Amino acid sequence: MNISNELLEKYHLNTCTAEERRMVEEWLFNTDVGDLDTTILTQDKNSIKQEIWQEIETVLPQAVKPLPKRSNAYLMWKGAIAAAVLITIAGTIVYFVFASKPVAQADYLALNNPSALHVKYIDATGYDVALGPNTTAKINNIDGMIDLTGSIMISPKKDISLVFEGTDKKVTLLKGQTYIILKNKTGVKSIIVISERNLMDLPPVMQKQLSTQFDI
Amino acid sequence: MNFNSIIKFSIIAIFAFCFFGCKERKSANQKDAKYSLYILAKDGKEYLLTSNTLDSGELKPEISGVYLDPKDMDRDVFVKDGFFYHLNRKSNRFSKFKLENGKLITAGFVDIKDFSIENFNWIGKDSLLLTGLNLSGYNHSKYGFINTTKMETITQGDMEIPAPSGKYTTLSIGFVEKKGNTLLVGYTYHLAQGVSNYLTSDTLYVSELSYPQMKLIGTQKDTRSTYPGGINTIQSYNFKDEKGDYYFQSCPGIALGNHPDLPTGIFKIEAGEKKIDPKYFFNISASKIQNHAYGMWYLGGNKAIIRSERKDLFKGLGDHYSTAHFEFYVLDLLSQSVTKLNLPLDKGTRRECVIVEGNTAYISVNSTREGNYIWLYNIKTGALKKGLQLGGDTDFIMRIDRLKD
Repeated sequence: MNISNELLEKYHLNTCTAEERRMVEEWLFNTDVGDLDTTILTQDKNSIKQEIWQEIETVLPQAVKPLPKRSNAYLMWKGAIAAAVLITIAGTIVYFVFASKPVAQADYLALNNPSALHVKYIDATGYDVALGPNTTAKINNIDGMIDLTGSIMISPKKDISLVFEGTDKKVTLLKGQTYIILKNKTGVKSIIVISERNLMDLPPVMQKQLSTQFDI
Repeated sequence: MNFNSIIKFSIIAIFAFCFFGCKERKSANQKDAKYSLYILAKDGKEYLLTSNTLDSGELKPEISGVYLDPKDMDRDVFVKDGFFYHLNRKSNRFSKFKLENGKLITAGFVDIKDFSIENFNWIGKDSLLLTGLNLSGYNHSKYGFINTTKMETITQGDMEIPAPSGKYTTLSIGFVEKKGNTLLVGYTYHLAQGVSNYLTSDTLYVSELSYPQMKLIGTQKDTRSTYPGGINTIQSYNFKDEKGDYYFQSCPGIALGNHPDLPTGIFKIEAGEKKIDPKYFFNISASKIQNHAYGMWYLGGNKAIIRSERKDLFKGLGDHYSTAHFEFYVLDLLSQSVTKLNLPLDKGTRRECVIVEGNTAYISVNSTREGNYIWLYNIKTGALKKGLQLGGDTDFIMRIDRLKD
């Protein structure tokens, strides 16, 4: 059977005749190994070796090749373009997510729910937040500083650490869990951070209020 | 069939045999197990474990526990004759569950609308009295009689408990006790101020209702303490002794009544009486405990265990549940003496953590340093020793229950 490279190519391009197709398929589905062309083995092994090494060398890394020097203008433009793209993307996301809220910058969230009755739900990039009535929350996403007055229910999309402004109280909130955070007066004693699964450890009167407020 | 196929088939057959074989054995264990343990793991997942003994061994919830879907289950679940009973407030569904083949299976349900359970009482073998409040405001007292064999409501309606008035907006029912053809109901009133703050009246009330009509006969007030009892699906606060004398605890500490200037105390209603004994008051806060307490279990022979907080070890409600600061004391109800149990400090504000069997009290302790163990207290000798360990991912043993009496 004479199966050449050209014939195989034709077969794959679907341009061969019915006869050729039959030949190729017969060859492809035949499990006998008798047709293997062994003439190549008789060729000079060294020359083949040489050839392979030459091919490999073309893809091997060169011995410490100095990087081409870029001009300062190039670096400046590269940085500027990257920054512009990032700012545009971040700006677009923040615009769509927080269209109705005052936002100073992307790393800093300022949330406010002035309603005395209703809860406000916000789907931020890093977490889902429900703001209780009369609640303001400022979260700095870079240093994790949180300034809160009121009550929030928060479900982080990844593990996050928060530090309460003006205190050394630091908490880590785990991805996939829901937490209630309450803070009304100043000082660490008034801060309550509790997982929804521990809600029943709070006084029943508070627990009932929270369940009603956040529809838990 | 060639040799390879035979080998493959045999391997699959052996695996299948092992798998089903093991599963069978596990379910048999769960069905006959004597105890259940409700675990909250470090990653926030909850599990039910079963065991035939609490005396020794180790269990890891993530390995042998039944995973509980947080949408359906919480630790305000109570156990009788191998079944678990729980009200899902959001779906209004009161369900009966059983453990089968490594899963919690619904064995029946009945819908109870606009209801939040404050207390449950078994009136008969399969008649359950649920007392509680309206979900829509927690200011209105309601009840439901359930036949738990058929999971049907026999009757339901309002209890003639005076609704909150004046500055008070809600109430808490802390205990319900059937005495002949009347029902004694202990409660108090609150003023809720948003989600972070509330006030409790400085008075506790016990109303006598006709049974089963639930009509008001009379109300007694007591100002020696406030917030009688608590929600008994989460923790126990009362019991009846061998004579039929009824004891209940008051909980004015920050974790329940939030009236910490009043003392935690134990009150008595004598057998045959329908009023609080005015001569009896066991002042826990004035005893050498010098703290508030929440949770009380009867050991027999006029002795009880109480679980008390350590105000010097927590800062406020924010760390009350997560800091290990709880101590256990044995009380003599007659002589009013207290004996501290030499156990590690325990964490978790509210837990159903004591089972009494003969001369042994099994006490579950969540220690930050020493791990989570069931401790065995010998009521006769006072000896304490470690029993079953809850290892692996266990963060809190939330409750321990006897599956069958």
